[in-house]
Amino acid sequence: MTQELRILAPDSFREKLNRRAFIKAGTATAGMAVVLMACGGSDSSSPDTTAAGVAGEASGDWSRVINQASGTLAMYTWGDYDDPELVGALAESSLGVKMKVDYFPSNEDLITKLSAGGGTSSGFDIVVPTGPYIVQMVEKGLIQKFDKTLLPNMVNVDPAFLGQAWDKDNEYSVCKNWGTTGFFYDTTKITKELNTWQDFLDACMGEASGQCAVIDAPPNFVGPYFWANGIDWNTEDKASIDAAEDFLVNKLAPHIKAFDSYPSSKLAEGAYSLAMAWNGDARQAYSRIEDAGGTPENWRWVLGAPDTELFMDTFCVAAGAPNAEAAHAWINWILIPENSIKDLEYHGYNTGLKNMEGLISELAPDLVKGDMIFFSDEQVKTMHTQVLNSSIDRFVDILNKAKAKAGA
Amino acid sequence: MTASVTFKQRRKLRAPKYALALPSMIWYTLFFVVPIAFIVVYSFGAKDGSKLLPVDLSNLSGANYANVFDETFFKVFRSTLRISTIATIGCLLIGLPVAYLAAFKVSEKWKGFILALVVVPSFTSFLIRTVAWRIPLAPNGFFSKWLVDMSWIGPQGIQVLETPMAVQIAIIYNYLGFMILPLFVALDRIDVRMREASKDLGAGRLSTFFGITLPLAGPGIIAGVLLTFIPMCGDFVTATILGGAKGNMIGSMIASQFSGAQNWPLGSAMAVLMIGAVLSSMVVGAAIVWLVSWIVAHPTPLSISLKRRMFEQSLVRSRAGKGSLLKVDILPYALWTWTALVILFLFIPIMLVVLHSFNGGSSFTIWSGEPGVKWWGELFDGTAAWAVVVRFAVIVAIALVGREVLSRKTLISKRSLNWAGPGAFFLAFIVNGALTDSYRGIFDFAGVGDAIRNSFIAAFGATVIAVVIGGFAGVSLARRPGIWTKFFMATVFLILVTPEIMDAIALATWFPRIAEFPIIGYPFKNGWGPFNGGMNKLWVGQSLYASAVVTLIVRARLAGLDESLEEAAADLGATPARAFRQITLPLISSALVAGGLLSFALCLDNAVISTLVSEAGSTTFPVALIGATRSTIKPFWGVGAVLLFTVTLGALWFVTVVLRRSGSSSSEIAATLAGN
Repeated sequence: MTQELRILAPDSFREKLNRRAFIKAGTATAGMAVVLMACGGSDSSSPDTTAAGVAGEASGDWSRVINQASGTLAMYTWGDYDDPELVGALAESSLGVKMKVDYFPSNEDLITKLSAGGGTSSGFDIVVPTGPYIVQMVEKGLIQKFDKTLLPNMVNVDPAFLGQAWDKDNEYSVCKNWGTTGFFYDTTKITKELNTWQDFLDACMGEASGQCAVIDAPPNFVGPYFWANGIDWNTEDKASIDAAEDFLVNKLAPHIKAFDSYPSSKLAEGAYSLAMAWNGDARQAYSRIEDAGGTPENWRWVLGAPDTELFMDTFCVAAGAPNAEAAHAWINWILIPENSIKDLEYHGYNTGLKNMEGLISELAPDLVKGDMIFFSDEQVKTMHTQVLNSSIDRFVDILNKAKAKAGA
Repeated sequence: MTASVTFKQRRKLRAPKYALALPSMIWYTLFFVVPIAFIVVYSFGAKDGSKLLPVDLSNLSGANYANVFDETFFKVFRSTLRISTIATIGCLLIGLPVAYLAAFKVSEKWKGFILALVVVPSFTSFLIRTVAWRIPLAPNGFFSKWLVDMSWIGPQGIQVLETPMAVQIAIIYNYLGFMILPLFVALDRIDVRMREASKDLGAGRLSTFFGITLPLAGPGIIAGVLLTFIPMCGDFVTATILGGAKGNMIGSMIASQFSGAQNWPLGSAMAVLMIGAVLSSMVVGAAIVWLVSWIVAHPTPLSISLKRRMFEQSLVRSRAGKGSLLKVDILPYALWTWTALVILFLFIPIMLVVLHSFNGGSSFTIWSGEPGVKWWGELFDGTAAWAVVVRFAVIVAIALVGREVLSRKTLISKRSLNWAGPGAFFLAFIVNGALTDSYRGIFDFAGVGDAIRNSFIAAFGATVIAVVIGGFAGVSLARRPGIWTKFFMATVFLILVTPEIMDAIALATWFPRIAEFPIIGYPFKNGWGPFNGGMNKLWVGQSLYASAVVTLIVRARLAGLDESLEEAAADLGATPARAFRQITLPLISSALVAGGLLSFALCLDNAVISTLVSEAGSTTFPVALIGATRSTIKPFWGVGAVLLFTVTLGALWFVTVVLRRSGSSSSEIAATLAGN
């Protein structure tokens, strides 16, 4: 399925991104947030029908249906994964719903929380699992079927990101965004140039020993070993997994400083000199480092090589959602191009709408660090989606053992 | 109705001795004994990921225990015990001089002041204070940079975060207040004449301290040690926020077995072993204490020679002291300096929380260099929030001015006038609530706003439950002791010593089961009135520990008073209900208020149980903040914490006035708070 993905950013676009553009847009974003706050507050009596948030409106044939809803809407998602306006003041002024957002650290935690509610009373409306986990969640009855008549804006999504293996007809899920994994390091502390997962693992056990962080989710934690060694990430081969366990638990774990899925603000505090990170979080790290008075130029983002992850996170409606109507209304609303691009600018992941290139040049011409959001065809070919198979239990076990070992 | 009829009825309806403790018994059976029993059962089961409750109980075996007994688990376990032991000893050594100063060396006024300063930090969100430690300890932080500039440390800055050292510092900090309070109560109760007698007989300061003060304070020290050591062992929040991979503690390891790995059986086995280890380390500790005191108390050659030497030395010293008249007694100064430093230590994170709520940047822990009220604006609807503040100020000001006027112009007693302040506060609270959609209206950002509201609703509900069932149980224990007392006290003791993480997983795994029961399960599945299932679970979860505390406080209060008043009431023909209402209730009222206050503070801050049992609509402030620590913590969490702190202080003030009105001194208030 990775072959279906098209090139999403022209090379000329990437060249535009230099340090000056970054700083300019960094301050502009902060300023804009304040202005928008004021707008959201004053407009709350009369909900606007056009989605505010980005400069202007995209040209072309887009569906922009807005269904009003009421009450509160509870979303359970990953950390720093939504523009605060879009899950706050804007949602209230445009849709009439008050949103509450809670965060989980891994898909496993999400499933546990929903299961603890017996699948019917978790209280969440919208949940954001990663694609492969949807099968299991449907089996356990944790998410409900969409009412597609309430999601007319789904036509805005690029067909390449619809009909995935885990949900062929998008009965339960729609793409929120997709992303990939790489690492981020301080070039003043690690002088050797790092380019591959093997470099990452070597640095973690070498120069950056005791200063490196890894993602705290089972498949991501085991990924670098497989990718570095040219083994299929989705292998079910016992010998390969045993070897991975031996390496990750006995060799790598003692050098790890933290299991941290969102290292951006701790990178800015100076806690790590090397961290495995999802592309969007690494992109946010640049502005945090800037914020802390650090020097972003000293930090380098590397897309994992020779192979790496491709994940797609999806919006789903939880089974027994107290406000399913509002959940549909919000999901439909976020698929409006202006909202989607505003969200993209914040979290730094490709939201998978049609004609992404055109949308960016029209709505977000000053987008910073676009090369961390959009990838070339060649890069995308190296990314692989996770398949949820029998090995996941082993991966969970390996992560737990590594945690115990690292703390010992 | 004549008296004789009443007597007859009373005899006929004579309830069993433990009748008043029945609500507690049912509560503890349903929500403590059975869930914990299930954990024990789970620990022999096997993981089955395909089920909603991922446990397969068809083949019970001890395999999980075999899996737990591996090297890495023991290493984490050992480091948890080491951190907890060092922190307990640290708290004792740091806290003892402060308690000593407050108990012996200062006036009543200063006593209250010092105690207030020690207790107040505990009323700020535990989590935000822990997060705040990231600020001074950050390698790129101002403190670190300053140390580097002074060349006191290497250019890499402070390397403490994400290590066991950071956890160690924060744990000592977090539990210090819980150590100082019982220590103070124990020291304060010592009859000064004992110490004077010791000195009159020629004992020096040291031998008085070790020979008289310390042994008499023994129970308080043990209480302090228990109050700190046990929660520390189960603490996983501090380790999660500050410890990184190296500062891992057993609590987080167990929690991740339940939430991340979905391996309930293995997690259960770990939890069972953990409580076993905590209990046995307490037994070992008790044995050591007993051994030492036995050696000191009994005339062995060692202790005799030790005592003789101490006595001789102090004689020499006191003679020398009498010789030089100008010699300045430095002890009080040293104690004062130490206390000031401890109080500064307690307040540093709180000051940083307040400061960083005015951070202009986008992360709570990283000071951007630009102060601003941006995040206050982000969290609050400015107009509505100011209106609330103004209404509070105006109503309280009117009341305070009115009090002054009335106290001068009229003969209304000063005591009843003391109600004016808190009364006005309460009135303002009601008025503002009515005008702002129960305070929803003042928040622009529902995430923090609703979390704060939920925290108060959860803590209030749990406190009511705790005060009611704990109050009845306390009365029953003091007034109707019997064989049942032993079993009941054992349960209460178990609730107090079970690490919270164990209760949390027991309840989190129990609720899905109990939700399927008819009637009992209904509130947990469908909610109750405006409160959803999650809120009901929070009330249950938070009320367990709190009700045990209330039970002990009420029992202790009544144990000191004999039953003659109630008997007199009965002799005069009062029904038991009436005697209870008119005699017993007033006697225990201050204990109930103090227990309620303590419960409220504990529940408001409850993170461990709440995280595992809460649901979407019932997310409390600590739960939401734990969620927020998984990504960048925005400065409005600091704003929320400041608000929470302010409101809690208001409640504290209210209660202190209530207790003072009933004539308690600060020593008594502290004593009630510490459960003695």
